Amino acid sequence: MKRSKSVRLVAMGTGLLLVAACDEAKVDTALFESVKQCTSLGFSAQECETNYREAQRNHINVAPKYTAQADCEADFGAAQCEVAPQRTSNGGSVFMPLMAGYLMGSMLSGGRTAGQPLYKSANDRSTFRTGDNKAVANTVGRTQVAQSTTRPASTKTRTISRGGFGAGARSPMRRSFGG
Amino acid sequence: MERIAVDPREDWQDTAEAHGFRFHTIDDERYWDESACYRFSLREIEDDIEDPTAEIEQMCFEVVARAVADDAVMARLGIPEAFWDFVADTWSQQHRNLYGRMDFAYDGKGPAKLFEYNADTPTSLYETAVFQWVWLEQAIERGIVPDGSDQFNSLHEALTGSFGQMGLAGKLHVACCKGSEEDEGTVEYIADCARQAGINAKLIYIEDIGIDTEGRFTDLQDEPITDLFKLYPWEWIMTDEFGRNVPNTNTRFIEPGWKSLLSNKGLLPLLWEMFEGHPNLLPAYFDGDPAASALGGDYVRKPRFSREGANVEVFENGECTVKVDGDYGAEGHILQAYHPLPDFGGNYPMIGSWLVASQPAGIGIREDTVLVTGNNARFVPHIISE
Repeated sequence: MKRSKSVRLVAMGTGLLLVAACDEAKVDTALFESVKQCTSLGFSAQECETNYREAQRNHINVAPKYTAQADCEADFGAAQCEVAPQRTSNGGSVFMPLMAGYLMGSMLSGGRTAGQPLYKSANDRSTFRTGDNKAVANTVGRTQVAQSTTRPASTKTRTISRGGFGAGARSPMRRSFGG
Repeated sequence: MERIAVDPREDWQDTAEAHGFRFHTIDDERYWDESACYRFSLREIEDDIEDPTAEIEQMCFEVVARAVADDAVMARLGIPEAFWDFVADTWSQQHRNLYGRMDFAYDGKGPAKLFEYNADTPTSLYETAVFQWVWLEQAIERGIVPDGSDQFNSLHEALTGSFGQMGLAGKLHVACCKGSEEDEGTVEYIADCARQAGINAKLIYIEDIGIDTEGRFTDLQDEPITDLFKLYPWEWIMTDEFGRNVPNTNTRFIEPGWKSLLSNKGLLPLLWEMFEGHPNLLPAYFDGDPAASALGGDYVRKPRFSREGANVEVFENGECTVKVDGDYGAEGHILQAYHPLPDFGGNYPMIGSWLVASQPAGIGIREDTVLVTGNNARFVPHIISE
């Protein structure tokens, strides 16, 4: 037989890939603003420090990035931003919010998750959020959080320019840009 | 091989819509046309189309290997010098290719003749892989075609299978240009195939791609683009503003950079130079090459990058008999021996022979009522039946 035995489309024809909303499972974890807070709640110094250092390392990648300090402070508050190690392509500075706290990754999924950085936005000084802006909790210490918020945040970068592709397509009356 | 009139399914338009095939009719002109189908014998498919397709792909690899080792060949193919190393690296690093479509003239009697290779951004993928297949299943059920009819079309299984073999890290951005419903349909289908292979496919318009502080490509949520399927030709990327970032990022492209050596018609004179006399090739030369006098007065002049027959000129006895409008030509031309498409009752079919991961995977036929297959061509299904 010279043809496919079956042809199945996952989403085409339905128009949209529908994802059902559902009640998420909660997981136990803990979050702190400092190593000291962590140890005073009974965790070992080693565990507290390891998670903190991991969170600081991840912070560099997952913190939202800005090319102007004022833009960063508009989102995270006055004096709440620092210079990021990254540089723009012409050597300019990049800014990111300060890490407001960290999540104990060692308590999650059998201890295989690294410590995660947490942030607070300018217009909500009580909620700790991930680098992907998912709200995690309002208080330090042990807590239960939605499982999806504990997934490591995506690497953040700041787009400084858009629209640099597509010039070839600006010819009128083209039905398709393939051949 | 013959062309037979068949009854269209009464509900074919509803079926098309239900399968997400929105561009079956374009600007009120029929595109998908099931009032006829082509019938082939198995020998015609296997010996005259499938085998030559596989063989020519291997010959194309020899052209690529030669070009990446020889700047003069890169220059003849019109690749901008700033991309020579990039293109060569994608070949030496064996960046995987997904697909391509070779266009042949074939009438069932003589060898199929290669007109060109759409190696970078071939279209008509969805209608070939899916809708043509659905047509066959229903046509057999309803007695429109003989019981036991087959079709040369394992494109869908080949695509969903291949996505799992491409070494993709997990997320694939899939891009097309704004303003084309047909291209949107194609990339939605590509994304669907990728998802079936467990890949997280994310659609984006090519015009919405950004660059970050380190010159890497980003999407609208500022997430890095690590792997990009683009329904957008390499020759445009290479002259776009963001093109200069391409060699400096780690973004992997589908199709990979080395395909740019095959997707322009400069491939044809090179194939003729390296494999002169091969039964499936037409004599071809770069415009301006004195050796082109071997073509005599009957030849076709094609711009290197033209699509859908744009700016093609046909010369018979030295006189221009057909001249198609369009925007191409500044990039230079090639000359190819004149070999008209076969005439099936005033319909001239072009056989689009698809490869997935460099293996022949099926054919789709587009026919026009004029000799230069253009935008008004219709897609017509086919069967294999003795």
